[in-house]
Amino acid sequence: MKRLFLILSASVAMAAFADAQENKGYLTGSLETNNHYYMDDNAVGTSVDGDRFASNDYLKLDYYNGNFSAGMQMEGYLPAIIGYNTEAYPSVLSGFDLSNFYASWKDDSFSVTAGTFYDQFGSGLLFRSWEDRALGINNAVLGARVTYTYKNILSLKALWGLPRFGMGLFTSSDREFANTATQIRGGDVSFSVSDLLGWNNLYLAIEGSALSRFEPIANEALKKEGAQESTLGWSARANLEYSGFFLKGEFVDAGWKYFGNPDYDWLDSNSNKYTGKKGNAALVDLGYNGRGLGVTLTARRLEYMSSHIFADPDNGDLRGLVGNTLNYIPALCTQYTYMLTNLHPYTAFSPSILSADNRTSGEMGFQFDAFYNFRRGTAIGGKRGMKIHANFSTYYGIAKEYTMKTGEMLFRDFSFDVERQWTKKFKMLLMYSYQKYGNVRLQNIFVADLLYKFTNKLSTRLELQYLSTKQDEKDWMAALVEVNFAPHWSVFASDMYNHGSSGTHYYNFGVSYSKSRTRVALGYGRYKDGYICSGGVCRRIPAYTGANLTVTTSF
Amino acid sequence: MKRIILMISLLVSAIASAQIPSVVVENIKGESYQTKSLLEEGTPMIISFWSTSCKPCIRELDAVYDALPDWKEEVDFRVVAVSTDDSRLMAKAKSFAEGRGWGEDFLLLFDKNQDFMRAMNVSVVPHVFVTDGKGKIVYSHTSYVPGNEVELFEAIKKVCGK
Repeated sequence: MKRLFLILSASVAMAAFADAQENKGYLTGSLETNNHYYMDDNAVGTSVDGDRFASNDYLKLDYYNGNFSAGMQMEGYLPAIIGYNTEAYPSVLSGFDLSNFYASWKDDSFSVTAGTFYDQFGSGLLFRSWEDRALGINNAVLGARVTYTYKNILSLKALWGLPRFGMGLFTSSDREFANTATQIRGGDVSFSVSDLLGWNNLYLAIEGSALSRFEPIANEALKKEGAQESTLGWSARANLEYSGFFLKGEFVDAGWKYFGNPDYDWLDSNSNKYTGKKGNAALVDLGYNGRGLGVTLTARRLEYMSSHIFADPDNGDLRGLVGNTLNYIPALCTQYTYMLTNLHPYTAFSPSILSADNRTSGEMGFQFDAFYNFRRGTAIGGKRGMKIHANFSTYYGIAKEYTMKTGEMLFRDFSFDVERQWTKKFKMLLMYSYQKYGNVRLQNIFVADLLYKFTNKLSTRLELQYLSTKQDEKDWMAALVEVNFAPHWSVFASDMYNHGSSGTHYYNFGVSYSKSRTRVALGYGRYKDGYICSGGVCRRIPAYTGANLTVTTSF
Repeated sequence: MKRIILMISLLVSAIASAQIPSVVVENIKGESYQTKSLLEEGTPMIISFWSTSCKPCIRELDAVYDALPDWKEEVDFRVVAVSTDDSRLMAKAKSFAEGRGWGEDFLLLFDKNQDFMRAMNVSVVPHVFVTDGKGKIVYSHTSYVPGNEVELFEAIKKVCGK
């Protein structure tokens, strides 16, 4: 397989080169390198056992010539920075290799892609392949995809391939983690009723997808209890938009998923070791956008929806890896960006394993967001306008599987922020956030974010934050100062101080330089254990202290 | 590995000016939008990649939004704001953009599986491009600090021959 793709790669490059002589195409690419240097820190008890130096590196190249394009990505984890691999699986991302590669041809109606590609059906609940470098997710599919579009009326898509796990299939033959077993086959159709009937004001589209997942099963007991090597899932969707009002609905039947049976009794020969569950989800988006107002209500119910590349029900460690995924089940609540608002992020509840203590099959809930712009020149907007935003979300566990019966409250938050440009030089944002995590934690967070421009080139930003809670580590305070020298330089220093309990300071300072498409950032700090979140999915990271150097460039 | 290096060197030898690749994204109504349609009007463009969780992106687009009436008195161009928020935040990104008034002056596009972002080789946001009327990229910049919009305006003036 590897040889086949390398031969393909050489032929594609030659073809591209030959073509380029006739009609010069163009090459574009990007390079990213994230480097950490870890240090012992007695104050918080972190010591470095293994490598002090770690580096994640990505080189991506794409060549375009008319309808033709080809590209590749190389990745190096030398070794991977902290938190990318887990204790149980320390080398899923390791070494340096060619990880992604594709050649593609497309015109106004057709496209054909061979090699690795990213795609998703609907919201991604049934299937999503994507890259998120912050999380270490890259489940690009290695195979083939064909699409066909007829005007704006019909879009068809068919794909087949092996989802990437670890470094991908181009890895050295001695590497342990490359997916050569799990295959997916899928199709997606989107049909615009409004374009067919020539409606001008109303947009209505009906969509559907199917995904077949194949994974060989060696476990005889699992087979005997009904698990199939091929499972089929599907989704049906509708999108409606009229004069700024929108309604989107999606229903997903994700097919059978197998779990270790929490009631298994090994002394009883009639007891089943595994149990099959039907994955299913429903998602509704409803709202209005227009005249400076944006309102969105999103409701979602999901049950047994985790879909894995490797689904071994006996291996919770493997199932729990963030990169071992075939679909996208993000937390549907505000993704906060300030230090203390993001100290305890919520992640959507979808069980990877079932236990006698926790049989909750999934979660249900909703979020509501409203954004409004008070225009310039109005009584409230003043001379420069004012923006407000409010958010509310609440999620519950499902008390009884396949029902709408809500169980324990998992998460609830409310936030409100107001942003105002007081003068040409001074801008202010104030935010309040209430976050409740079941019965475990209740916290109130206050943030002030102040920006002052001294000149066109010199500006400073100050963040002041306070977190109040009676639980866990009690109260926190935090501050950040940033000084910007446009167009190239920016320096910052911040501190997160847990004055309520441990008295620990989590300081951080750094400098960055940007020019054109290149950015270099150097920082040093003490980082708390917790989660790095991106797109509503989180990766656990342990505490560390050290320096980091990031360079990103593209051309 | 040798073959990979050979391939890179062959490709590098074929460099010409980068342009806007053809990718399908969504407009605010949820309809499919071919990025090559951006070229139809033949005007220079500022194309800005942003996301709802990227504060500097929002500051940059706000700065452009505030300066736009003055800029447009001098030169004719369009602003295209491409949200890289995925399906989780796309509905919110639409409301967010509307709630900041951007919908009045910017063409809002939504790139929920980051296909356009990847095709333009944007690895971090904010990332802004300036193109001429034919879609040829003449300026690009990553990251934003207050004041960067001055350089951006100079770039758009240059491409308009002012």
